[in-house]
Amino acid sequence: MQALSVAGLNKKYGSFAVLDDLNLQIDKGSIHGLVGLNGSGKTTTIECILGLQEFNSGSITALGYPPPQLHLSKGRLVAIFDSPSLHPNLTVRQCLEHALLLCEKPKRSAEDVETLLSISRFRDFKIKNLSLGNKRRASIAQALLGDPEFIVLDEPFNGLDAEGVDDVLELIRTLNRDQGTTFLLCSHQLPYLEQICSHIAILHKGKISHSNTINNLLGNTQTILQLKTAETEAASKVLEAISGAELIDIDTDGYLNIRISGTDSIAINQAMVENKIPVAELILKRASLAGLFREITSEDA
Amino acid sequence: MNGLLIAIKSEIFIALRTFASKLIVAAPALVATAQLLLVRLTEAGQQARDSLLGGSNFEADVANNAYGFFVDSLSTGLTMLGLLLVAQAAYSFSYERDIGSIRHILIRRVSRRSLMSAKLIHLHVLALLSVLLLLVSSYLLSGMLWEYSAIVEDGFELISESEIREEITLGIQLALLPLPAAIAFGLLVSVSAQSATQAVSTALGITLAIDIFKGLLGDLALYLYASFQPSLIDQSYLQSVSRIVRGYSDVLIDDRVLQLNMWVPFPALLVFFAASLWIVQRRKL
Repeated sequence: MQALSVAGLNKKYGSFAVLDDLNLQIDKGSIHGLVGLNGSGKTTTIECILGLQEFNSGSITALGYPPPQLHLSKGRLVAIFDSPSLHPNLTVRQCLEHALLLCEKPKRSAEDVETLLSISRFRDFKIKNLSLGNKRRASIAQALLGDPEFIVLDEPFNGLDAEGVDDVLELIRTLNRDQGTTFLLCSHQLPYLEQICSHIAILHKGKISHSNTINNLLGNTQTILQLKTAETEAASKVLEAISGAELIDIDTDGYLNIRISGTDSIAINQAMVENKIPVAELILKRASLAGLFREITSEDA
Repeated sequence: MNGLLIAIKSEIFIALRTFASKLIVAAPALVATAQLLLVRLTEAGQQARDSLLGGSNFEADVANNAYGFFVDSLSTGLTMLGLLLVAQAAYSFSYERDIGSIRHILIRRVSRRSLMSAKLIHLHVLALLSVLLLLVSSYLLSGMLWEYSAIVEDGFELISESEIREEITLGIQLALLPLPAAIAFGLLVSVSAQSATQAVSTALGITLAIDIFKGLLGDLALYLYASFQPSLIDQSYLQSVSRIVRGYSDVLIDDRVLQLNMWVPFPALLVFFAASLWIVQRRKL
Protein backbone atom coordinates (compact mmCIF):
# COMPACT_ATOMS: atom_id res chain seq x y z
CA MET A 1 0.00 0.00 0.00
CA GLN A 2 1.27 3.42 -0.92
CA ALA A 3 0.98 6.43 1.35
CA LEU A 4 2.12 8.80 -1.37
CA SER A 5 2.33 8.59 -5.11
CA VAL A 6 3.78 11.38 -7.21
CA ALA A 7 3.89 10.82 -10.97
CA GLY A 8 5.28 13.11 -13.66
CA LEU A 9 5.21 16.19 -11.47
CA ASN A 10 6.21 19.38 -13.25
CA LYS A 11 6.43 22.79 -11.67
CA LYS A 12 7.75 25.94 -13.26
CA TYR A 13 8.43 29.37 -11.83
CA GLY A 14 8.13 31.44 -14.98
CA SER A 15 10.34 29.72 -17.51
CA PHE A 16 12.47 28.00 -14.85
CA ALA A 17 11.49 24.36 -14.32
CA VAL A 18 11.97 23.54 -10.65
CA LEU A 19 10.47 20.09 -10.88
CA ASP A 20 10.81 18.20 -14.12
CA ASP A 21 8.86 14.94 -14.40
CA LEU A 22 9.36 14.06 -10.76
CA ASN A 23 8.26 10.60 -9.64
CA LEU A 24 8.16 9.43 -6.05
CA GLN A 25 6.41 6.58 -4.29
CA ILE A 26 6.31 6.12 -0.55
CA ASP A 27 5.06 2.90 0.98
CA LYS A 28 2.93 2.93 4.10
CA GLY A 29 5.00 2.34 7.22
CA SER A 30 8.26 3.58 5.73
CA ILE A 31 10.46 6.46 6.82
CA HIS A 32 11.39 8.21 3.63
CA GLY A 33 14.07 10.88 3.46
CA LEU A 34 14.05 13.49 0.70
CA VAL A 35 17.42 15.14 0.17
CA GLY A 36 18.73 17.62 -2.32
CA LEU A 37 20.89 20.68 -2.72
CA ASN A 38 19.64 24.14 -1.78
CA GLY A 39 17.13 25.20 -4.41
CA SER A 40 16.72 21.69 -5.74
CA GLY A 41 12.95 21.83 -5.15
CA LYS A 42 12.47 19.87 -1.92
CA THR A 43 10.17 22.42 -0.31
CA THR A 44 8.34 22.98 -3.60
CA THR A 45 7.76 19.22 -3.82
CA ILE A 46 6.39 19.12 -0.28
CA GLU A 47 4.20 22.15 -0.86
CA CYS A 48 2.77 20.58 -4.02
CA ILE A 49 2.09 17.33 -2.14
CA LEU A 50 0.34 19.23 0.65
CA GLY A 51 -1.77 21.30 -1.73
CA LEU A 52 -0.15 24.55 -0.68
CA GLN A 53 0.78 25.50 -4.21
CA GLU A 54 -0.37 24.53 -7.65
CA PHE A 55 1.74 22.52 -10.08
CA ASN A 56 1.83 22.63 -13.86
CA SER A 57 1.24 18.95 -14.60
CA GLY A 58 1.47 15.51 -13.08
CA SER A 59 -0.52 13.71 -10.44
CA ILE A 60 -0.24 13.43 -6.69
CA THR A 61 -2.21 11.34 -4.24
CA ALA A 62 -1.48 11.29 -0.54
CA LEU A 63 -3.41 8.66 1.43
CA GLY A 64 -5.65 8.45 -1.64
CA TYR A 65 -6.47 12.16 -1.76
CA PRO A 66 -5.32 14.66 -4.38
CA PRO A 67 -3.72 17.79 -2.86
CA PRO A 68 -6.77 20.12 -3.06
CA GLN A 69 -8.84 17.55 -1.16
CA LEU A 70 -6.25 16.63 1.43
CA HIS A 71 -8.40 18.19 4.18
CA LEU A 72 -10.90 15.37 3.57
CA SER A 73 -8.40 12.97 5.13
CA LYS A 74 -9.45 14.62 8.42
CA GLY A 75 -6.02 14.92 9.95
CA ARG A 76 -4.67 11.52 8.88
CA LEU A 77 -1.88 13.48 7.22
CA VAL A 78 -0.14 16.29 9.09
CA ALA A 79 2.88 18.42 8.32
CA ILE A 80 5.52 20.12 10.41
CA PHE A 81 7.32 22.94 8.65
CA ASP A 82 10.77 24.43 8.94
CA SER A 83 9.26 27.48 10.66
CA PRO A 84 7.10 26.73 13.71
CA SER A 85 3.83 27.96 12.07
CA LEU A 86 2.11 28.62 15.40
CA HIS A 87 0.26 31.69 16.63
CA PRO A 88 2.93 33.70 18.48
CA ASN A 89 0.44 35.23 20.93
CA LEU A 90 -1.04 31.94 22.09
CA THR A 91 0.50 29.87 24.86
CA VAL A 92 1.77 26.36 24.18
CA ARG A 93 -1.33 24.90 25.85
CA GLN A 94 -3.65 27.16 23.84
CA CYS A 95 -1.93 26.10 20.61
CA LEU A 96 -2.50 22.48 21.52
CA GLU A 97 -6.14 23.14 22.44
CA HIS A 98 -6.55 24.89 19.09
CA ALA A 99 -5.03 21.91 17.30
CA LEU A 100 -7.46 19.64 19.17
CA LEU A 101 -10.31 21.46 17.39
CA LEU A 102 -8.84 20.19 14.12
CA CYS A 103 -8.70 16.56 15.23
CA GLU A 104 -11.70 14.40 14.46
CA LYS A 105 -10.85 11.88 17.13
CA PRO A 106 -7.99 13.11 19.30
CA LYS A 107 -6.01 10.14 20.51
CA ARG A 108 -3.75 12.04 22.85
CA SER A 109 -4.51 14.85 25.26
CA ALA A 110 -2.59 18.12 25.38
CA GLU A 111 -0.92 16.90 28.60
CA ASP A 112 0.18 13.68 26.89
CA VAL A 113 1.99 15.41 24.04
CA GLU A 114 3.47 18.05 26.36
CA THR A 115 5.02 15.25 28.37
CA LEU A 116 6.06 13.36 25.24
CA LEU A 117 7.90 16.39 23.88
CA SER A 118 9.20 17.58 27.28
CA ILE A 119 7.46 20.95 27.09
CA SER A 120 5.17 20.64 30.13
CA ARG A 121 7.05 23.37 31.99
CA PHE A 122 6.58 25.77 29.08
CA ARG A 123 2.85 25.18 28.64
CA ASP A 124 1.87 28.65 29.88
CA PHE A 125 4.57 30.41 27.86
CA LYS A 126 3.50 32.31 24.78
CA ILE A 127 4.96 30.85 21.60
CA LYS A 128 6.77 34.12 20.85
CA ASN A 129 8.70 33.77 24.12
CA LEU A 130 9.98 30.24 23.43
CA SER A 131 13.37 29.32 22.00
CA LEU A 132 13.41 28.03 18.42
CA GLY A 133 13.96 24.47 19.67
CA ASN A 134 10.96 24.61 21.99
CA LYS A 135 8.81 26.19 19.29
CA ARG A 136 9.70 23.21 17.14
CA ARG A 137 8.80 20.82 19.96
CA ALA A 138 5.45 22.59 20.35
CA SER A 139 4.92 22.34 16.61
CA ILE A 140 5.61 18.60 16.67
CA ALA A 141 3.41 18.20 19.75
CA GLN A 142 0.38 19.73 18.07
CA ALA A 143 0.90 17.50 15.03
CA LEU A 144 0.75 14.38 17.20
CA LEU A 145 -2.57 15.06 18.90
CA GLY A 146 -4.69 13.32 16.31
CA ASP A 147 -2.68 10.16 15.81
CA PRO A 148 -1.78 10.84 12.16
CA GLU A 149 -0.95 8.03 9.74
CA PHE A 150 1.42 10.08 7.63
CA ILE A 151 3.66 12.87 8.88
CA VAL A 152 5.58 15.20 6.58
CA LEU A 153 8.47 16.99 8.24
CA ASP A 154 10.38 19.79 6.54
CA GLU A 155 13.78 20.33 8.19
CA PRO A 156 12.69 18.73 11.48
CA PHE A 157 16.07 19.11 13.18
CA ASN A 158 16.54 22.85 12.64
CA GLY A 159 17.07 24.70 15.90
CA LEU A 160 17.11 21.57 18.06
CA ASP A 161 19.92 20.87 20.51
CA ALA A 162 21.56 17.43 20.65
CA GLU A 163 19.05 16.19 23.21
CA GLY A 164 16.18 17.53 21.13
CA VAL A 165 17.46 15.76 18.02
CA ASP A 166 17.74 12.50 19.95
CA ASP A 167 14.19 12.94 21.28
CA VAL A 168 12.79 13.59 17.80
CA LEU A 169 14.68 10.66 16.29
CA GLU A 170 13.43 8.39 19.05
CA LEU A 171 9.89 9.69 18.64
CA ILE A 172 9.96 8.99 14.91
CA ARG A 173 11.30 5.47 15.53
CA THR A 174 8.69 4.76 18.19
CA LEU A 175 5.73 6.05 16.14
CA ASN A 176 6.93 4.14 13.08
CA ARG A 177 7.55 0.91 14.97
CA ASP A 178 4.51 0.91 17.28
CA GLN A 179 1.87 2.53 15.10
CA GLY A 180 3.22 2.11 11.61
CA THR A 181 3.25 5.87 11.02
CA THR A 182 4.68 6.80 7.64
CA PHE A 183 7.19 9.67 7.52
CA LEU A 184 8.52 11.89 4.79
CA LEU A 185 11.52 13.78 6.13
CA CYS A 186 13.07 16.59 4.17
CA SER A 187 16.40 17.67 5.62
CA HIS A 188 19.98 18.69 4.99
CA GLN A 189 21.09 16.77 8.10
CA LEU A 190 22.18 13.67 6.20
CA PRO A 191 23.73 11.82 9.16
CA TYR A 192 20.41 12.02 11.03
CA LEU A 193 18.51 10.81 7.98
CA GLU A 194 20.99 7.97 7.59
CA GLN A 195 20.22 6.92 11.17
CA ILE A 196 16.48 6.96 10.88
CA CYS A 197 15.32 6.49 7.28
CA SER A 198 14.38 3.22 5.66
CA HIS A 199 14.35 4.85 2.21
CA ILE A 200 16.09 7.82 0.66
CA ALA A 201 15.16 9.80 -2.42
CA ILE A 202 17.73 12.19 -3.86
CA LEU A 203 16.27 15.17 -5.65
CA HIS A 204 18.67 16.56 -8.22
CA LYS A 205 17.97 18.86 -11.13
CA GLY A 206 14.23 18.63 -10.66
CA LYS A 207 14.08 14.84 -10.73
CA ILE A 208 14.43 12.03 -8.25
CA SER A 209 17.82 10.80 -9.41
CA HIS A 210 18.05 7.95 -6.89
CA SER A 211 15.36 6.37 -4.74
CA ASN A 212 15.82 3.15 -2.87
CA THR A 213 16.22 1.61 0.54
CA ILE A 214 19.15 3.14 2.33
CA ASN A 215 20.96 -0.22 2.43
CA ASN A 216 20.68 -0.66 -1.32
CA LEU A 217 21.83 2.88 -2.00
CA LEU A 218 24.87 2.66 0.26
CA GLY A 219 25.59 -0.90 -0.84
CA ASN A 220 26.33 0.38 -4.32
CA THR A 221 28.94 2.83 -3.14
CA GLN A 222 32.58 1.97 -2.49
CA THR A 223 34.49 2.30 0.73
CA ILE A 224 37.60 4.48 0.83
CA LEU A 225 40.66 3.61 2.89
CA GLN A 226 43.19 6.30 3.75
CA LEU A 227 46.71 5.13 4.40
CA LYS A 228 49.62 7.26 5.59
CA THR A 229 53.20 6.15 5.28
CA ALA A 230 56.62 7.71 4.69
CA GLU A 231 57.24 5.26 1.81
CA THR A 232 54.48 6.23 -0.58
CA GLU A 233 56.11 4.85 -3.73
CA ALA A 234 56.70 1.41 -2.22
CA ALA A 235 53.21 1.39 -0.80
CA SER A 236 51.78 2.25 -4.22
CA LYS A 237 53.55 -0.74 -5.76
CA VAL A 238 52.23 -3.05 -3.05
CA LEU A 239 48.70 -1.79 -3.65
CA GLU A 240 48.98 -2.53 -7.36
CA ALA A 241 49.48 -6.17 -6.47
CA ILE A 242 46.37 -6.40 -4.29
CA SER A 243 43.23 -7.23 -6.21
CA GLY A 244 40.22 -5.17 -5.13
CA ALA A 245 42.36 -2.22 -4.05
CA GLU A 246 42.76 0.76 -6.33
CA LEU A 247 44.87 3.80 -5.51
CA ILE A 248 42.84 6.89 -6.35
CA ASP A 249 45.34 9.60 -5.46
CA ILE A 250 47.80 10.83 -2.90
CA ASP A 251 46.38 13.96 -1.27
CA THR A 252 48.26 17.03 -0.09
CA ASP A 253 48.50 15.66 3.45
CA GLY A 254 50.28 12.60 2.14
CA TYR A 255 47.37 10.19 2.51
CA LEU A 256 47.01 7.47 -0.08
CA ASN A 257 43.29 7.33 -0.92
CA ILE A 258 42.47 3.74 -1.82
CA ARG A 259 39.15 2.54 -3.20
CA ILE A 260 38.51 -0.93 -1.81
CA SER A 261 36.05 -3.49 -3.05
CA GLY A 262 36.43 -7.21 -2.60
CA THR A 263 39.17 -6.77 0.00
CA ASP A 264 39.42 -5.11 3.40
CA SER A 265 41.66 -2.93 5.50
CA ILE A 266 43.11 -5.94 7.33
CA ALA A 267 44.45 -7.47 4.09
CA ILE A 268 45.98 -4.16 3.01
CA ASN A 269 47.59 -3.60 6.41
CA GLN A 270 48.96 -7.15 6.37
CA ALA A 271 50.44 -6.65 2.87
CA MET A 272 52.18 -3.46 4.06
CA VAL A 273 53.61 -5.25 7.08
CA GLU A 274 54.82 -8.15 4.96
CA ASN A 275 56.59 -5.69 2.63
CA LYS A 276 58.08 -3.91 5.65
CA ILE A 277 56.35 -0.62 4.90
CA PRO A 278 55.70 1.25 8.15
CA VAL A 279 52.07 2.36 8.32
CA ALA A 280 51.53 5.58 10.33
CA GLU A 281 47.74 5.79 9.96
CA LEU A 282 45.00 3.66 8.45
CA ILE A 283 41.55 5.29 8.27
CA LEU A 284 38.52 3.50 6.94
CA LYS A 285 35.95 5.87 5.44
CA ARG A 286 32.76 3.89 5.20
CA ALA A 287 30.14 4.63 2.59
CA SER A 288 27.83 7.31 3.92
CA LEU A 289 24.76 9.08 2.71
CA ALA A 290 26.72 12.32 2.75
CA GLY A 291 29.40 10.75 0.56
CA LEU A 292 26.89 9.30 -1.84
CA PHE A 293 25.03 12.61 -1.98
CA ARG A 294 28.22 14.54 -2.73
CA GLU A 295 29.14 12.01 -5.38
CA ILE A 296 25.78 12.27 -7.12
CA THR A 297 25.41 16.02 -6.93
CA SER A 298 28.97 16.68 -8.09
CA GLU A 299 28.67 14.39 -11.13
CA ASP A 300 26.93 17.01 -13.25
CA ALA A 301 28.39 20.06 -11.57
CA MET B 1 -19.05 18.47 11.70
CA ASN B 2 -18.11 19.99 8.39
CA GLY B 3 -15.10 22.11 7.54
CA LEU B 4 -16.94 25.43 7.77
CA LEU B 5 -18.04 24.83 11.36
CA ILE B 6 -14.55 23.73 12.33
CA ALA B 7 -13.11 26.84 10.69
CA ILE B 8 -15.60 29.08 12.53
CA LYS B 9 -14.74 27.40 15.83
CA SER B 10 -11.08 27.88 15.07
CA GLU B 11 -11.59 31.57 14.28
CA ILE B 12 -13.55 32.13 17.48
CA PHE B 13 -10.96 30.22 19.53
CA ILE B 14 -8.21 32.55 18.29
CA ALA B 15 -10.39 35.66 18.59
CA LEU B 16 -11.19 34.98 22.25
CA ARG B 17 -7.49 34.77 23.03
CA THR B 18 -6.10 37.69 21.07
CA PHE B 19 -6.28 41.45 21.52
CA ALA B 20 -7.29 42.55 18.03
CA SER B 21 -10.81 41.11 18.19
CA LYS B 22 -11.48 42.65 21.60
CA LEU B 23 -10.29 45.98 20.24
CA ILE B 24 -12.77 45.83 17.36
CA VAL B 25 -15.65 45.08 19.71
CA ALA B 26 -14.80 47.67 22.35
CA ALA B 27 -12.99 50.53 20.59
CA PRO B 28 -15.94 52.13 18.73
CA ALA B 29 -18.04 52.19 21.92
CA LEU B 30 -15.14 53.62 23.92
CA VAL B 31 -14.45 56.36 21.39
CA ALA B 32 -18.15 57.25 21.19
CA THR B 33 -18.30 57.37 24.99
CA ALA B 34 -15.26 59.64 25.12
CA GLN B 35 -16.84 61.92 22.52
CA LEU B 36 -20.10 62.22 24.50
CA LEU B 37 -18.25 62.97 27.74
CA LEU B 38 -16.06 65.59 26.08
CA VAL B 39 -19.06 67.30 24.47
CA ARG B 40 -20.87 67.34 27.81
CA LEU B 41 -17.83 68.81 29.56
CA THR B 42 -17.48 71.46 26.88
CA GLU B 43 -21.17 72.28 27.18
CA ALA B 44 -20.93 72.55 30.97
CA GLY B 45 -18.07 75.03 30.56
CA GLN B 46 -20.07 77.00 28.03
CA GLN B 47 -23.12 77.11 30.31
CA ALA B 48 -21.01 78.26 33.26
CA ARG B 49 -19.53 81.06 31.16
CA ASP B 50 -22.96 82.09 29.86
CA SER B 51 -24.47 82.21 33.33
CA LEU B 52 -21.53 84.29 34.65
CA LEU B 53 -21.85 86.73 31.74
CA GLY B 54 -25.64 86.85 32.17
CA GLY B 55 -26.28 85.63 28.63
CA SER B 56 -28.55 82.75 27.70
CA ASN B 57 -27.81 79.70 25.66
CA PHE B 58 -29.45 79.55 22.23
CA GLU B 59 -32.34 77.21 21.70
CA ALA B 60 -31.57 75.35 24.91
CA ASP B 61 -34.27 72.76 24.44
CA VAL B 62 -33.05 71.76 20.99
CA ALA B 63 -29.39 71.86 21.93
CA ASN B 64 -29.97 69.62 24.92
CA ASN B 65 -31.88 66.96 23.01
CA ALA B 66 -30.05 63.66 23.50
CA TYR B 67 -31.00 62.26 20.10
CA GLY B 68 -28.59 64.53 18.23
CA PHE B 69 -25.68 63.55 20.45
CA PHE B 70 -26.67 59.90 20.21
CA VAL B 71 -26.55 60.04 16.41
CA ASP B 72 -23.23 61.91 16.46
CA SER B 73 -21.66 59.31 18.72
CA LEU B 74 -23.00 56.52 16.48
CA SER B 75 -21.52 58.24 13.48
CA THR B 76 -18.12 58.47 15.17
CA GLY B 77 -18.27 54.86 16.37
CA LEU B 78 -19.32 53.49 12.98
CA THR B 79 -16.61 55.49 11.22
CA MET B 80 -14.06 53.88 13.48
CA LEU B 81 -15.66 50.45 13.17
CA GLY B 82 -15.55 50.64 9.37
CA LEU B 83 -11.81 51.35 9.41
CA LEU B 84 -11.13 48.71 12.07
CA LEU B 85 -13.06 46.05 10.17
CA VAL B 86 -11.25 46.76 6.90
CA ALA B 87 -7.92 46.62 8.73
CA GLN B 88 -8.78 43.43 10.62
CA ALA B 89 -10.13 41.73 7.50
CA ALA B 90 -6.96 42.65 5.62
CA TYR B 91 -4.83 41.40 8.52
CA SER B 92 -6.67 38.17 9.30
CA PHE B 93 -5.73 35.99 6.34
CA SER B 94 -2.41 37.61 5.43
CA TYR B 95 -1.06 37.41 8.97
CA GLU B 96 -1.93 33.74 9.36
CA ARG B 97 -0.31 33.09 5.99
CA ASP B 98 2.80 35.00 7.12
CA ILE B 99 3.21 32.94 10.29
CA GLY B 100 2.22 29.73 8.51
CA SER B 101 -0.57 28.71 10.89
CA ILE B 102 -3.08 28.69 8.05
CA ARG B 103 -1.29 25.69 6.56
CA HIS B 104 -2.22 23.40 9.46
CA ILE B 105 -5.91 24.07 9.23
CA LEU B 106 -5.95 23.69 5.44
CA ILE B 107 -4.01 20.42 5.42
CA ARG B 108 -5.99 18.84 8.25
CA ARG B 109 -9.63 19.75 8.07
CA VAL B 110 -10.77 22.77 6.11
CA SER B 111 -10.95 23.73 2.44
CA ARG B 112 -9.74 27.14 1.34
CA ARG B 113 -13.31 28.12 0.49
CA SER B 114 -14.60 27.17 3.94
CA LEU B 115 -11.75 29.03 5.59
CA MET B 116 -12.58 32.24 3.72
CA SER B 117 -16.28 31.84 4.50
CA ALA B 118 -15.46 31.32 8.18
CA LYS B 119 -13.36 34.49 8.21
CA LEU B 120 -16.20 36.44 6.60
CA ILE B 121 -18.70 35.12 9.13
CA HIS B 122 -16.38 35.70 12.06
CA LEU B 123 -15.76 39.32 11.04
CA HIS B 124 -19.51 39.85 10.75
CA VAL B 125 -19.97 38.49 14.27
CA LEU B 126 -17.33 40.92 15.52
CA ALA B 127 -19.07 43.77 13.68
CA LEU B 128 -22.44 42.81 15.13
CA LEU B 129 -21.10 42.68 18.69
CA SER B 130 -19.34 45.98 18.21
CA VAL B 131 -22.47 47.68 16.82
CA LEU B 132 -24.61 46.32 19.67
CA LEU B 133 -22.15 47.57 22.28
CA LEU B 134 -21.93 50.93 20.52
CA LEU B 135 -25.72 51.31 20.33
CA VAL B 136 -26.32 50.38 23.96
CA SER B 137 -23.48 52.45 25.42
CA SER B 138 -24.22 55.52 23.29
CA TYR B 139 -27.96 55.39 23.94
CA LEU B 140 -27.57 55.00 27.69
CA LEU B 141 -24.86 57.63 28.05
CA SER B 142 -26.68 60.14 25.84
CA GLY B 143 -29.77 59.63 27.99
CA MET B 144 -27.77 60.14 31.17
CA LEU B 145 -26.08 63.33 29.99
CA TRP B 146 -29.00 64.90 28.10
CA GLU B 147 -32.71 64.27 27.75
CA TYR B 148 -34.47 62.41 24.93
CA SER B 149 -37.39 64.47 23.70
CA ALA B 150 -39.33 65.60 20.64
CA ILE B 151 -38.24 68.70 18.70
CA VAL B 152 -40.35 71.60 19.92
CA GLU B 153 -40.17 75.18 18.74
CA ASP B 154 -42.32 77.99 20.11
CA GLY B 155 -44.55 75.41 21.78
CA PHE B 156 -45.15 73.45 18.59
CA GLU B 157 -43.89 69.90 18.17
CA LEU B 158 -41.94 69.91 14.92
CA ILE B 159 -40.81 66.29 15.02
CA SER B 160 -42.26 63.71 17.36
CA GLU B 161 -40.09 61.19 19.22
CA SER B 162 -41.48 58.31 17.17
CA GLU B 163 -40.53 60.14 13.94
CA ILE B 164 -37.05 60.79 15.32
CA ARG B 165 -36.65 57.14 16.22
CA GLU B 166 -37.79 56.07 12.77
CA GLU B 167 -35.24 58.35 11.14
CA ILE B 168 -32.48 57.12 13.43
CA THR B 169 -33.40 53.48 12.74
CA LEU B 170 -33.30 54.11 8.99
CA GLY B 171 -30.00 55.99 9.33
CA ILE B 172 -28.44 53.12 11.28
CA GLN B 173 -29.70 50.53 8.78
CA LEU B 174 -28.31 52.46 5.84
CA ALA B 175 -25.01 53.05 7.63
CA LEU B 176 -24.63 49.37 8.47
CA LEU B 177 -25.37 48.06 4.97
CA PRO B 178 -21.92 48.90 3.52
CA LEU B 179 -20.02 47.20 6.39
CA PRO B 180 -20.20 43.65 4.91
CA ALA B 181 -18.81 45.00 1.63
CA ALA B 182 -16.02 46.74 3.58
CA ILE B 183 -15.19 43.43 5.30
CA ALA B 184 -15.15 41.59 1.96
CA PHE B 185 -12.93 44.31 0.49
CA GLY B 186 -10.47 43.83 3.38
CA LEU B 187 -10.45 40.07 2.75
CA LEU B 188 -9.82 40.62 -0.94
CA VAL B 189 -6.80 42.77 -0.15
CA SER B 190 -5.70 40.20 2.45
CA VAL B 191 -5.58 37.30 -0.02
CA SER B 192 -3.95 39.45 -2.71
CA ALA B 193 -1.19 41.08 -0.64
CA GLN B 194 2.30 39.70 -0.15
CA SER B 195 2.37 40.34 3.60
CA ALA B 196 0.15 41.39 6.48
CA THR B 197 1.78 44.82 6.68
CA GLN B 198 1.20 45.38 2.99
CA ALA B 199 -2.39 44.17 3.27
CA VAL B 200 -3.34 46.48 6.14
CA SER B 201 -1.63 49.55 4.71
CA THR B 202 -3.14 48.94 1.26
CA ALA B 203 -6.66 48.33 2.56
CA LEU B 204 -6.64 51.39 4.80
CA GLY B 205 -4.91 53.48 2.15
CA ILE B 206 -7.51 52.64 -0.50
CA THR B 207 -10.38 53.18 1.96
CA LEU B 208 -9.07 56.62 2.93
CA ALA B 209 -8.33 57.51 -0.69
CA ILE B 210 -11.91 56.66 -1.67
CA ASP B 211 -13.10 58.80 1.23
CA ILE B 212 -11.03 61.76 0.06
CA PHE B 213 -11.76 61.49 -3.65
CA LYS B 214 -15.43 60.46 -3.58
CA GLY B 215 -16.41 64.14 -3.67
CA LEU B 216 -14.64 64.48 -7.03
CA LEU B 217 -16.43 61.51 -8.55
CA GLY B 218 -19.84 63.17 -8.63
CA ASP B 219 -22.68 60.73 -9.27
CA LEU B 220 -20.22 57.91 -9.87
CA ALA B 221 -19.47 57.92 -6.15
CA LEU B 222 -22.99 56.63 -5.55
CA TYR B 223 -21.94 53.33 -7.06
CA LEU B 224 -19.21 52.91 -4.48
CA TYR B 225 -20.28 51.07 -1.35
CA ALA B 226 -17.90 53.25 0.69
CA SER B 227 -19.85 56.43 -0.13
CA PHE B 228 -22.64 55.29 2.18
CA GLN B 229 -20.43 54.45 5.15
CA PRO B 230 -20.03 56.94 7.98
CA SER B 231 -16.50 58.19 7.38
CA LEU B 232 -14.08 61.03 7.98
CA ILE B 233 -15.59 63.00 5.11
CA ASP B 234 -19.11 61.83 5.84
CA GLN B 235 -21.75 61.70 3.13
CA SER B 236 -23.80 58.95 4.72
CA TYR B 237 -27.48 59.26 5.52
CA LEU B 238 -26.62 59.16 9.23
CA GLN B 239 -25.02 62.57 8.77
CA SER B 240 -28.38 63.90 7.50
CA VAL B 241 -30.19 62.18 10.38
CA SER B 242 -27.99 64.09 12.81
CA ARG B 243 -29.34 67.34 11.37
CA ILE B 244 -32.94 66.11 11.09
CA VAL B 245 -33.15 65.12 14.77
CA ARG B 246 -31.81 68.56 15.71
CA GLY B 247 -34.72 70.17 13.96
CA TYR B 248 -32.98 71.48 10.85
CA SER B 249 -35.52 71.74 8.06
CA ASP B 250 -33.06 72.26 5.20
CA VAL B 251 -32.03 68.63 4.89
CA LEU B 252 -32.53 67.38 1.33
CA ILE B 253 -33.23 63.71 1.00
CA ASP B 254 -32.82 62.15 -2.43
CA ASP B 255 -34.79 58.90 -2.71
CA ARG B 256 -32.51 57.71 -5.51
CA VAL B 257 -29.51 57.98 -3.19
CA LEU B 258 -31.35 56.04 -0.51
CA GLN B 259 -32.19 53.33 -3.05
CA LEU B 260 -28.55 53.11 -4.18
CA ASN B 261 -27.52 52.98 -0.51
CA MET B 262 -29.80 49.94 -0.20
CA TRP B 263 -28.66 48.10 -3.32
CA VAL B 264 -25.03 48.97 -4.08
CA PRO B 265 -23.29 47.37 -1.06
CA PHE B 266 -24.65 43.83 -1.51
CA PRO B 267 -23.37 43.25 -5.08
CA ALA B 268 -20.06 44.79 -3.98
CA LEU B 269 -19.90 42.21 -1.17
CA LEU B 270 -20.55 39.37 -3.63
CA VAL B 271 -17.99 40.63 -6.15
CA PHE B 272 -15.27 41.13 -3.53
CA PHE B 273 -15.89 37.77 -1.90
CA ALA B 274 -16.04 35.87 -5.19
CA ALA B 275 -12.75 37.50 -6.23
CA SER B 276 -11.22 36.56 -2.86
CA LEU B 277 -12.25 32.93 -3.34
CA TRP B 278 -10.88 32.86 -6.87
CA ILE B 279 -7.52 34.25 -5.75
CA VAL B 280 -7.22 32.13 -2.63
CA GLN B 281 -7.80 28.92 -4.62
CA ARG B 282 -4.77 29.71 -6.74
CA ARG B 283 -2.40 31.28 -4.24
CA LYS B 284 0.69 29.64 -2.86
CA LEU B 285 0.18 29.44 0.89
